[in-house]
Amino acid sequence: MSIDSAIPRPLWGVMSRLLTYGLVICLLLTGGPACSRGKQAAALKIGLAEEPRTLNVWLASDANSQKILRQIYQPLYRPEPATLKLVPWLAESEPVFDPETVSYTVKIRPAKWSDGSDLTSADVAFTARLIKEFKIPRFSAKWSFVTRIETPGPRTVRYYLKAPTAVFLSRTLIGPVVQKKEWESVARAARQLEKPLAALLNHKIASPVSSGPFMLTQWRRGAYLHLQQNPHFFGRNLTIGGLQLGPHVENLLFKIYGTSDVAILALKKGAIDMFWQGIQPGYLDDLAKDPGVRTISSAKSALYFMGFNMRRSPFNDLALRQAAAALIDRDFILTRVLQGHGQKMFSVVPDENIFWSCPDVDRYFEGLPREDRIRRAYDILTRSGYSWEVPPVDASGQVQTASGLRLPNGAQMPRFTILTPPADYDPHRAISGLIIQEWLRELGMPAYARPMSFGALLQQVKERHDFDTFILGYGKLPIDPDYIRSMFYSKFDRPRGWNMSGYRNPEFDRLANASRKVIDPNQRRELIWDMQLLISRELPYLPIYKPALIEAIREDRFHGWVPMQDGIGNIWSFCRLRPTTLEK
Amino acid sequence: MSLPDHPKTAARPAGLSVRFHWIRRFREGWAIFRENLIGRIGLMLLGLFGLMALCSFIPPLIDPMYHPMTGVDPAISHSTGPSLKHWLGTDFIGRDIFSQLLAGARIAFMVGLSSALISILLGTTIGMIAGYAGRIADTLLMRLADMIMVMPTLLVVLILASLFGQLSIWTIVLLIALFRWPGVSRVIRAQTLTLKQRPFIEAARVAGASHTRIIFRHIMPNVLPLSLLYMTFRVTSAIIIEAALAFLGFGDPGTVSWGMMLQWVWKTGHMFQAPYWLLPPGICISLLTLSFFMLGRSMDEVLDPRLRKEDTNR
Repeated sequence: MSIDSAIPRPLWGVMSRLLTYGLVICLLLTGGPACSRGKQAAALKIGLAEEPRTLNVWLASDANSQKILRQIYQPLYRPEPATLKLVPWLAESEPVFDPETVSYTVKIRPAKWSDGSDLTSADVAFTARLIKEFKIPRFSAKWSFVTRIETPGPRTVRYYLKAPTAVFLSRTLIGPVVQKKEWESVARAARQLEKPLAALLNHKIASPVSSGPFMLTQWRRGAYLHLQQNPHFFGRNLTIGGLQLGPHVENLLFKIYGTSDVAILALKKGAIDMFWQGIQPGYLDDLAKDPGVRTISSAKSALYFMGFNMRRSPFNDLALRQAAAALIDRDFILTRVLQGHGQKMFSVVPDENIFWSCPDVDRYFEGLPREDRIRRAYDILTRSGYSWEVPPVDASGQVQTASGLRLPNGAQMPRFTILTPPADYDPHRAISGLIIQEWLRELGMPAYARPMSFGALLQQVKERHDFDTFILGYGKLPIDPDYIRSMFYSKFDRPRGWNMSGYRNPEFDRLANASRKVIDPNQRRELIWDMQLLISRELPYLPIYKPALIEAIREDRFHGWVPMQDGIGNIWSFCRLRPTTLEK
Repeated sequence: MSLPDHPKTAARPAGLSVRFHWIRRFREGWAIFRENLIGRIGLMLLGLFGLMALCSFIPPLIDPMYHPMTGVDPAISHSTGPSLKHWLGTDFIGRDIFSQLLAGARIAFMVGLSSALISILLGTTIGMIAGYAGRIADTLLMRLADMIMVMPTLLVVLILASLFGQLSIWTIVLLIALFRWPGVSRVIRAQTLTLKQRPFIEAARVAGASHTRIIFRHIMPNVLPLSLLYMTFRVTSAIIIEAALAFLGFGDPGTVSWGMMLQWVWKTGHMFQAPYWLLPPGICISLLTLSFFMLGRSMDEVLDPRLRKEDTNR
């Protein structure tokens, strides 16, 4: 008797189905973890210090939002890691300049959006027109000199300019390109409202359409963001800037950690592969003990400086600013406050920006010991008519405790403040402020460092202009030095303008205007250097230092990080990283 | 509130006249306090911290590098552990942690005592007026007290700090005081309500004493011990609030407080690397607040006979 005949046919069918289901469940239970392990290995887990504020690219000004959006929206050109020279990214080649029509023609690569539709010149032109029409704050200044945008072909865009402008390539064409299909309806709806710009900026984007290597799949607020590889990424297997692109990572998982301590603990435990945030040198010894963790120090394109209010006495006097410059010992700040992880700065353009940074700026008694600095500062002020009740240098040339500094008009120097961000925001600047206070007091200046909340500080310095001196910083300067113009151009000496010191010099304005119009890089460099020399002489800002960016990663899961100015957390890295575990 | 005779003091000859009423009461109270172990430990700890606060002026006189805020050891440029030169080590730029700890004791006393004193003054005055005046004044003052009492002090001060920028240490003191008086005022009001029914108040009123005189001459001396008791608890909460504010980055950045020390150790990434820097301010905050609490507990026993243990030996 066969089994078939022993079991009734309908029952056999039920049993076989049960057996099949059972097998499937068993397979899932046993094979599932193996599959998920495989997927996990290809998921790069990145720790973020804070939640991104928005996924609306027009509103996103915070670093964490930009970290996400840079994986999604792509520019036409971007700097390549080794030389920081701009290379075509979405664009296929260098822009072609036509001097007769003052126009640039850009040809774009064959590319697709993450929804499978073609990325065409219509998207590129739409992005530019949207910025110009809505006057989107962070972008519109870069487009002010563009008069017209044409799309002669589906992959060709032509920009007409008012006049030849040097920053068109380096500032304008490095902005993100958005999808026309996604934003056209948003723009149309915004135009109907009373405040179109506000409507555009407040538009909530749940799932932005991507042209980058990754696309967003999920954002669980307060916990994580999940990005998946974009199957339509134009750069796959292309070699751009000498680097062959992937991406080889299936998923990016951004986890939100409230504090550096927790994120670093997660890194040590292997819960994340990278903490995408500069860490304090204090963590280095502890991290060095973990063989799987590596710390990487990168130069930052940054400027941390002391600013003087030139709109009012006493810091409208060059001699006083020069004396303060003589007293500030950058070596001390570098070795003590930055623990050696940074660089001294003398020009408003970082030294790493080799082409644009002027090497001839005044270095203000670099390397001089403390007492010699006091003597030099004393000489500067004495020559300018300042006097003391007790001078900092006695008749025999010995340095002593000074008091009662009097201005050239005989009035007692009033008490003044050095505004800094608080220690919880940036311990380096807060401590530097206190140290500089002591140095200035050695010369009899009644200086008082006053750390205050960052928002209040910006309001006081940038909006109300109600300050004496301050210590602030630019954490991410563009490679093109056109920002010097924004910092010191007379027109920007206004409430909320970037000329915070109130520096007004027609000569500087002339150089700044000329530097924008000159297309030849070498000629432009001459002008930019002259601008730096002028600032170095007149000292509206006194550059002090720039900290290094220390980042921590796990080496045992992924390799192929691309070092670059401003850290290894860059799109080149994410396009080239390969999972180590899978290869093994 | 009147103190009952303590067995020990009752046995003594009543040598002190009415003129020395206060001294007699103090001596009686002290005799009870002395027998309380918790009170003795609290007082001892308090004495230790008081000594630390007084000594905080000494290190900068020995060498400018011991200045808690601006002094740095020229030979040290990173955080180091305890040594002969720096008993508790140095912070990340080479400042002496022991000097900072001493300066922190001074700030803790200043903040704790000043804000407690202001809140007690406010609470006692408002409580006495509400209790004595009654009716609409009582209702208004007590509802105001209720409203302030339900506000979380730390949260409100944090919001104010973020609205108005960095607060100075004296603004913090004032804010803490302004939010901590209602508890005292309710207790003092209750005490005033019982006192105003007592014959000596009636007698004063019949004798033609004004309301102000009755409140401040006859009621106040009887509620002051209770106010002082509450002051010890207010000191504790003020110290904790200031430390929390400083730790969260809303303290006065120009002062070296224990909360500020904790913030520095946290923000510079030394939390788990430098126990010699992390533990002392934390322990000091705990011990100082504990000492005031212990002192308050034992004073409670001095003022309230119901809390005292029966002495079986007598």
